Amino acid sequence: MKTNQKKAWLFLAPTIIFVTLFSIYPILRAFGMSFQGGSLIDLHWNGFSNYQYIFNDPEFWLAIKNTVLYAVISVPVGLAISIMLAWIIFDKVKHKSFFETTFFMPYVTSTIAIGIVFRYIFNGDYGMLNFLLRSLHLPAPDWIDDPAMSLTTIIIFGIWSSLAFNIVILMGALRNIDPNFYTIADMYGASGRDKFWRITMPELVPTIAFLLTMNVIGAFKIYTSVYALFNGQAGVGNSGTTAVFYIYNKFQIVGTPGVAMAATVILFLIILFATFLQRKMMKKVGEN
Amino acid sequence: MKRIRLGVLFSYIILFIFAVITVFPFIYMILGGLMSFQETTSIPPTLIPHHFEWSNYATVFARAPFGRYFFNTVLTASVTTIVSLFNSLLGAFAMVNLRFKGKGLIQLVLLSLLMVPGEAIIFTNYNTIAHMGLLNTYVGLVLPFLTSIFYMYYLQSYFGSISDTIYKAAMIDGASDWDYIWKILVPMSKGGLFTVGLLSFISGWNSFLWPLLVTNEDTMRLLNNGLSAFASDAGSETQLQLAAATLTVLPILILYLIFRKQIIKGVVRNDLKG
Repeated sequence: MKTNQKKAWLFLAPTIIFVTLFSIYPILRAFGMSFQGGSLIDLHWNGFSNYQYIFNDPEFWLAIKNTVLYAVISVPVGLAISIMLAWIIFDKVKHKSFFETTFFMPYVTSTIAIGIVFRYIFNGDYGMLNFLLRSLHLPAPDWIDDPAMSLTTIIIFGIWSSLAFNIVILMGALRNIDPNFYTIADMYGASGRDKFWRITMPELVPTIAFLLTMNVIGAFKIYTSVYALFNGQAGVGNSGTTAVFYIYNKFQIVGTPGVAMAATVILFLIILFATFLQRKMMKKVGEN
Repeated sequence: MKRIRLGVLFSYIILFIFAVITVFPFIYMILGGLMSFQETTSIPPTLIPHHFEWSNYATVFARAPFGRYFFNTVLTASVTTIVSLFNSLLGAFAMVNLRFKGKGLIQLVLLSLLMVPGEAIIFTNYNTIAHMGLLNTYVGLVLPFLTSIFYMYYLQSYFGSISDTIYKAAMIDGASDWDYIWKILVPMSKGGLFTVGLLSFISGWNSFLWPLLVTNEDTMRLLNNGLSAFASDAGSETQLQLAAATLTVLPILILYLIFRKQIIKGVVRNDLKG
């Protein structure tokens, strides 16, 4: 038995070359650049001053605040709605794959294009949403042009977009639950509610943990949907700015790559910390 | 008994409402793209246009080079898909069928890299591409995406389910690794490769941030960047924006509806293993 087949490196070579050049190197480079000042063609060491700069920059804190609020609100709400819908489809509906196909559509379609549609539906004057709200005698805010509403609008769009992936993954997990569990529960006369909380939910814990991690990581990277909703801006007066918006702005528009990379490092650490925290939390839940 | 029925009815209503919320933007996009300007801004809103304004599409094509955007997008998405599939295929084969020193380390490094958000490295990659003088080129658009750890990992799990004895038997029969890959592995995992290809093509089609960074010439733009630039230029002409959005979404939506089973299965399989 040969134990060291060196030819393996030949097959792995393309992957290793590209990964080194476009995944590993940029991480190290980003970290290095976060300690450098100047423009892209004239970088020089300047210690921690980029970090000092962002920590004293109110715009950075607004971006972080928006991003965290977005993650903390849109992820649990989106996930709860997804669990509810997946359970209804799984438990009560005959044409499961029809609904699965329907709910998955947003996942494959361009955020930019759908963002344009949402901007139209959300329009304060002639948008469909405010027409419905007005006919129900509910307040009809200016979703797009009122800075106070920017984050709410972004969150609604975020929840709408997140259902697709969540529902399909949850449906997969529901199908994997041993049907005997339900048969036995029926034999003992368990109610629908009992079955959901005692069988379905505990069986779904690993899937929910996985979705929570994926959703939170996705939420922290939010950029394209904001860009699409507000036509290339981060809401009126930058009210809906996010971490990636801040990074893009500092990197490409203002031309201070060091500052952008310092913000990237902070964002990366926040994502790592959030992922770690969730793992711990879900482990606790799983044990109980 | 009656309570249970009421519960079921309530569930159906919720499901119906959310299904409408999910589908409505797509339908409204298509209808809105066929309205006249007056109809898009009327109060109460128009739902179904009186007369289908197909001329909106002619206006869109006349105002922005959408044909060129289509060409660029299909080209870059196809090249990315084919090359990254090829690279992932070779890598996954080595990781599954070959034994070599350092395999554990490679696996560990690749898996940890999966955790790194793309947005954290995209800007330094821009820097690399700019240094190579590849801004506003097709090569620059595709280069960082010619390999995918994600798809390689997916294929590994796919190949792992093919018995190792098949590989050993092929070796005893005097087949080379290359023969094994193309004559046995690929035909046996056609389904998986096809699904990965579809998912890769769709994500290439929908890419936005990277092409936004590395291109600024109109002729090099991809569909989504062209669309967002067009939406800004068209200002308040919502009917044109919606027509352009329809152009961007419809091809992928049709592809999705044809291959919905493979795509959904692929996504579920992909991610439960992650």
